[in-house]
Amino acid sequence: MTQGSSPAPRVVGVALILIGIGATVTALSISLDQYGRWGARYFPLAGALALIALGAAELRVADGARLDRRHWPAITGLLALSITYVWSISAFGYLLSTAVAAPAALWIFGVRNAIGLGLAAVLCPAIYHLVFFELLGVFPPLGRWFDLLDIMGGP
Amino acid sequence: MDIFPALASVLSDPSLMAWVLAAAIVGMIVGAIPGLTASAAIAMLLPLTFYMEPLPALAFLYVIGKSGRYGGSIAAILFNTPGTAASAATQIDGYPLARQGKASKAMKVATISSVIGDFTGEILLIVGVAWIATIALKLGPPELFAVYFAAFIVIGSVIGKSVTRGLASAALGVLVAMVGLDPISSTERFTFGSFDLTNGIGLVPLMIGIFVLGEVFAQIEARGKAPEIIAEGDDEVRNGLTWAEYRPCLPHVFRSSLIGSFIGMLPGLGSAIAAFVAYGEGKRRARNPQDWGNGALEGVAAPEAANNAVSGPSMAPLLTLGIPGSTIGAILIGVFLIHGIQIGPTLFLTSRDLIYALFACGLIGIVFYGLIGYFGAAFVGRFITRIPTRVLYPVIFLTSFVAAYTSRGNLFDVYVMVAAGFAGWAMRKLDFNPAAFVISFVLAGGAEETFRQALLLSDNGLLIFVTRPVALLFLLIGISALLFRMRGLARARAVESAP
Repeated sequence: MTQGSSPAPRVVGVALILIGIGATVTALSISLDQYGRWGARYFPLAGALALIALGAAELRVADGARLDRRHWPAITGLLALSITYVWSISAFGYLLSTAVAAPAALWIFGVRNAIGLGLAAVLCPAIYHLVFFELLGVFPPLGRWFDLLDIMGGP
Repeated sequence: MDIFPALASVLSDPSLMAWVLAAAIVGMIVGAIPGLTASAAIAMLLPLTFYMEPLPALAFLYVIGKSGRYGGSIAAILFNTPGTAASAATQIDGYPLARQGKASKAMKVATISSVIGDFTGEILLIVGVAWIATIALKLGPPELFAVYFAAFIVIGSVIGKSVTRGLASAALGVLVAMVGLDPISSTERFTFGSFDLTNGIGLVPLMIGIFVLGEVFAQIEARGKAPEIIAEGDDEVRNGLTWAEYRPCLPHVFRSSLIGSFIGMLPGLGSAIAAFVAYGEGKRRARNPQDWGNGALEGVAAPEAANNAVSGPSMAPLLTLGIPGSTIGAILIGVFLIHGIQIGPTLFLTSRDLIYALFACGLIGIVFYGLIGYFGAAFVGRFITRIPTRVLYPVIFLTSFVAAYTSRGNLFDVYVMVAAGFAGWAMRKLDFNPAAFVISFVLAGGAEETFRQALLLSDNGLLIFVTRPVALLFLLIGISALLFRMRGLARARAVESAP
């Protein structure tokens, strides 16, 4: 039931049904309580079965609008940067990872000025570190393999 | 009249006033930046408020929400790009006015109307909320579950383009909320053997992902699309606002304020629906309907009043039942919980002073953004045009990571935020409803608790929900909302397909 046509109804319908089936199987494996009641299963099952029903309803929609895929390479790049950035924080600490991620993010958004990118590599980690880990007193994420803070004598 | 001592207390606290002023400025700027919403700003700034006292933290975010709703009108009028979904209705007449060289006049009308609408909503909240809380105290688990059920259905089906995808967003929100330990039996659910998942999915990283990182992903697709910017002239005749010009707007402003306040009380509907309903109703009753859409001042006043009138009443279901009426309400739940304040009907027994002080901050915030907007909206508009989006969004990207980490000092939360960010982008792309997803995520815990409590009370199983009149009423409200919406869409499709 849609106003206009939403994109990719078949893909969305199949995805919802698959997620629903997976969630139903997982919900049925949730342990019963000590009295053998289904208490903890009710809501997960309700959500899962609702997804299957809604997925089936999506499949009844004949055609959908076309998806604009022109920017998917940039989206994929930003997603890859995001995952790599979090992983590198756990491996090399916040400062070094941000020094690489900041110019990379600017590059993806179209900044090509070398001086600007270089400044971002220095200023971004410094400013975020000062605000969040010094002023607010949050304990910084330390790198497993190497951390610049070890050399600088922090945190 | 608890509000007067609360006002006196807030006015005599300079640091609190400074937070309210800062929130008015931040909200206005964020609301005016196309693509950025007050929800995104609040989600991003939420971790900072963990280190503040409860009242400044709540007041800061609450006033950002108010001011952000108003700020959207600046972008709608000057850039022909609504800063928020709600200000798309303002754009219909605001932008033609700007093209006629009357941008400042349109912004003054938007400011005054927003202030009147917001005041109306806030006063109704202050007068009515304690009364609603008294009634809410009398509701038992079956009635509360029925209220949650109605909220799920309304949130999932009424907003957004697709009913099935809206409801699927709500169902997905419920499923994600189930991850972790069952709060009653401590049974693991959807943890797949992961220790990190036993703590459940954090509200803060989820919201930062959906509203902030999701928007950064979406902005990649908007690279290179510079908004058309209209310079606001300095011609006093064109841009000054006289009483004779504003007087015809007043009936629309008062009607729209009431429409917005009513819609604000219904969970999940939000400002955008209020603004469009008020615009439609205003045009229907206007003496000059032919001018609406071509630069009528009333066409700016009506949606702006309704848009901002939503703000106060949307807090009523949040404060009295723990049901957020909007995404901003969902985020504020996080602040209440972090500061150990239990929301719901007992809130007015345990934290009455805090709540009235928050309302007082809301009133003062309206005055602040009204003054700044009336005299400085044009400056804010000019300031926004100088912020290059190719620098702004990478900065927001980096801030979202550190903000997600700050919430619990846990890198797993940052992974959650990245996954939520990508999901948020995909949801927007595929006409799912991110707001329904997040609000359902927040509601799921309370709904499950009341459902299971109701079953324990019942000798007849599920029949308890239909044998209690109030519960039955709310179940019927939910089902009726769904049926009305489906009927409306079927009619719209029939009109579209007619030759």
